[in-house]
Amino acid sequence: MNAVLSIAKTTIGEAIRRRVLLVILLIGVLFLVIAPGLSVLSARQNYTVLTSFTLGIIQLTSAVIAIVLTVYLLPNEVERRTIYTILSKPVYRWHFLLGKYLGAVGALAMMMLLMSTVLVLVFKIMQRDASMEDVMRLATAPIFFFVQMSLLAAVAMFFSTFVSPIVNIFLSGGVYLIGTLFSPVFQDLSNNKNLSPAVKGAATLVHTVVPNFAQYNIQSGIINRGPELRSVELYYATIVGYALIYITVFLIAGMMVFDRKEV
Amino acid sequence: MRLKRTPLLASIVALVAVGGVLNRTAYPIWVSNYSPRVDADISGLQADQLLIALAGFREMVAGILWVRADTFFDEGNYDAILPIIRVVTMLDPKQIDVYATGMWHIAYNFTDEQNRSDRRYIPSALALGSEGARNNDYTYELFFETGWLWYHKIDDDYDNAVDWWEQATERKDMQVARKNILAMAYLRAGKFDEAIDHYEGLLANAQAELKKNPNEFANRQNVDTLEGNLDNLLVRLAQRGNFAIKGGYYDQWSYDTRPPYDVGFSAQVTVEDSKVLRVEGTWGVQPVGTRVRIVLRDRDYASGRPAAMVWARSNQVDLDPEKNVTFMQDGLFVKNQAFFRRVDMSRDPTMYPFSSDNYVVEFYYNPRSGPPHIQDRFGYSGEGLTDKNYLNTEVREGQRVIFASLELTRDQLLRQGEWSTKVPIVRTKGYVATGSRQTDEVINVPGLRNEPEPTE
Repeated sequence: MNAVLSIAKTTIGEAIRRRVLLVILLIGVLFLVIAPGLSVLSARQNYTVLTSFTLGIIQLTSAVIAIVLTVYLLPNEVERRTIYTILSKPVYRWHFLLGKYLGAVGALAMMMLLMSTVLVLVFKIMQRDASMEDVMRLATAPIFFFVQMSLLAAVAMFFSTFVSPIVNIFLSGGVYLIGTLFSPVFQDLSNNKNLSPAVKGAATLVHTVVPNFAQYNIQSGIINRGPELRSVELYYATIVGYALIYITVFLIAGMMVFDRKEV
Repeated sequence: MRLKRTPLLASIVALVAVGGVLNRTAYPIWVSNYSPRVDADISGLQADQLLIALAGFREMVAGILWVRADTFFDEGNYDAILPIIRVVTMLDPKQIDVYATGMWHIAYNFTDEQNRSDRRYIPSALALGSEGARNNDYTYELFFETGWLWYHKIDDDYDNAVDWWEQATERKDMQVARKNILAMAYLRAGKFDEAIDHYEGLLANAQAELKKNPNEFANRQNVDTLEGNLDNLLVRLAQRGNFAIKGGYYDQWSYDTRPPYDVGFSAQVTVEDSKVLRVEGTWGVQPVGTRVRIVLRDRDYASGRPAAMVWARSNQVDLDPEKNVTFMQDGLFVKNQAFFRRVDMSRDPTMYPFSSDNYVVEFYYNPRSGPPHIQDRFGYSGEGLTDKNYLNTEVREGQRVIFASLELTRDQLLRQGEWSTKVPIVRTKGYVATGSRQTDEVINVPGLRNEPEPTE
C-alpha cells in the first residue's frame, strides 16, 4: 500500500507542475472572478445567473482538467521510460495504475478545492444577504462535481491503458457526453412502448451499463429551488456508492488490460 | 505475478449489475428533483446548444437569449421570437416568465391587418403551457396561465379552464386574490354548486385570516370582496331561476329568464372581392355590446366540429402551425339590433391560404360567454334565449345556444371561375335586411324586457 501512496504522491506533484493544467485552472478561476460582471447580460436575477455561470465554469474546467490530466499519465511514463524504473522495483502493475489514479484524483481535488473557494468568495461578495445555509447549499454542487470527475478520470484511466492520448480524449469525452446528456434519451427509448423489444433492450442495456454522469448535476435544485426529497442523504449516498462501484469497475478493467500490456 | 482474469471478470459483471440497480433507483429521483426538465425533451436543440447545455450554462445562455428576444419584441419582429422561446424553454425550463410570455405571444400576437389573431397557433400555446406546468409543477403560475388561455383567449370549453385553475388552486403559492377566478370558471362551465362551495371556502379562510389579523386592511378587503361576490352570485342564481330549475319548480314562478326571448337572428355573407366578406345581420337584443362569434374555416378542418374546435391536440410543442388550413374568427359587434362587419382577409395570405375547396361560415352565440347583464336575461345556459330558426340544443350539451352555418366554395371566396363576374351571396333562412341600423351614429338603448322592434 505504501507503494501505491508513494506513486499517488509523486503523481500529484507532477500534476501541479504541469503548465497546461495550471493554465486551464487559471482560466477557470479568471472566469469565476469575472462572472458577476456577466450577470447584467441576462434577464434572470443576479443570483440565478451568478450561480448558473460559476457552477458551469467549475464543471467545464474540472471536466477538461480530469481528462487532460488522466489521459497522459500512463503514456508519459511509457514514453519517458520511467515506468521501467518503477516496475523493476517490488511494485505490481495494478499498484502503479491505482497509485496513478489516486494521484490524479488528489490533484483534481486540490484544483477543484481552489475553484470552489473562489466560488464561495465571489458568491459571498456578490450576495451579501446570503445566509450560511445558502453558501452550504452552493458548495454542495462542487462536491458532487468532484465525484463526477473522479468517475470521468477512472474512465480516462481505463482507456489510457490501450489507446493513444488523443483518441482517449475523444473516447472519454464521448462517454461523458453520453452519460450526461443522453441518459434521458436512452431512458425514454427503454420506456417507449412503440419500439421493438430489440431496440428497447439495447436502450435499456446502454442506459444501465454506460456510467450515468447526469445524476451528479444537482445545480438545478440549487439555482431554482430546493429538492423535495424526503431523504437527501440517502440519494447522495446512493450516487456516491454508484460512482465508487463504477470507478472500481473501470480500474479493475484497466488493471486487467495493463497487466498484459507490453510496455 | 499475473492477475487472475476470471474472478476479476466475474467481479466486474457483479459490480455492473449492482451499479445498474443503483442507477435505476437513483436516476428517477434525479429526474424528478434535480433535472431541469421533467420530460427531458432536448431533441430540438442544435449541436452548439447541446454543448451549452452540457457545459452547464443553461440558465446563463437562456437569460441572454431572452434579452435578445426582448429586442425583437421592441422591433415588432415577432416571428424571430418563436425559435428563441423554444430554445430558452429547452435550455432553462425553470424560466416561468418565458413560458408565460411565450404562451401569450403565440396565442395573441400573430394577427392579421384587422387585428384578428391567428388561432392556428393556439394548440402550440396550450402545449407550451402544459409543458411549462409539467416542468414547474411546484408553482401555480403556469397552471393559472394555461387556464387563462382557455378562459380568455379560447373563451369556450370552460371545463378546461376549471381543470387548470383547480390544479393552480391546489398549489400553496397561489395568490389569494387570484383564487376567486376559479368560481367564475365554474359558472361559465355551468357548475353552480361548485362555484358557491368555492366562494364559501374562500370566505371561511378569509374570515379566519381576518380573525387572526383584524388590523390588516387586505384581510378586511378580501372578506368584503368575497361576501360581495357570493351575495351577487346567490341573487343572480335565484333571479335567473337556477335554484328553481334544480328544485324542479321553474315553471311555477316568474324569473328573469322567463319567458325565453326570441333574438331574431339572421345573417348574410357577401363576398365583395377576393377574400373580402361583408357580413351583416340581425340580433334583436337591444343593449349594445353583444358579440356574435363568426368563424370561417376549411369545411374538412380535421380539428373542426360544429361551433367548436379541438384546441388541445398534443402535449408536444410545435411552433409551426398548420400552414395550409384557413381559420378566421371574429366577433360581430351588435348595435341597434344589427351587426355589420367587413372582413378583409386579402392582405394576409399566410394566415388565410384558402387551399381547400370548401368552407363553412359559422355563427355562434352562447350566453355563458356573455356579460352578466345579458346573462341575467338569457340565463347561464340559455334558459331565457330562443330563436325561431337557429336555437340549437345539440352543439353544447345541456345548453341553448344560437348556431347557424353557411357554406362557401373556394371559387366563391376568391372570386374566380364562374364567380369572377357574379357576386356570391349566402344568407340564413329568414334573413332580414338591416339597412343602416348598424352603421347609424345614434344608439337606441331601451330596456331588455321590451318586445323587439318590428323588423324591416
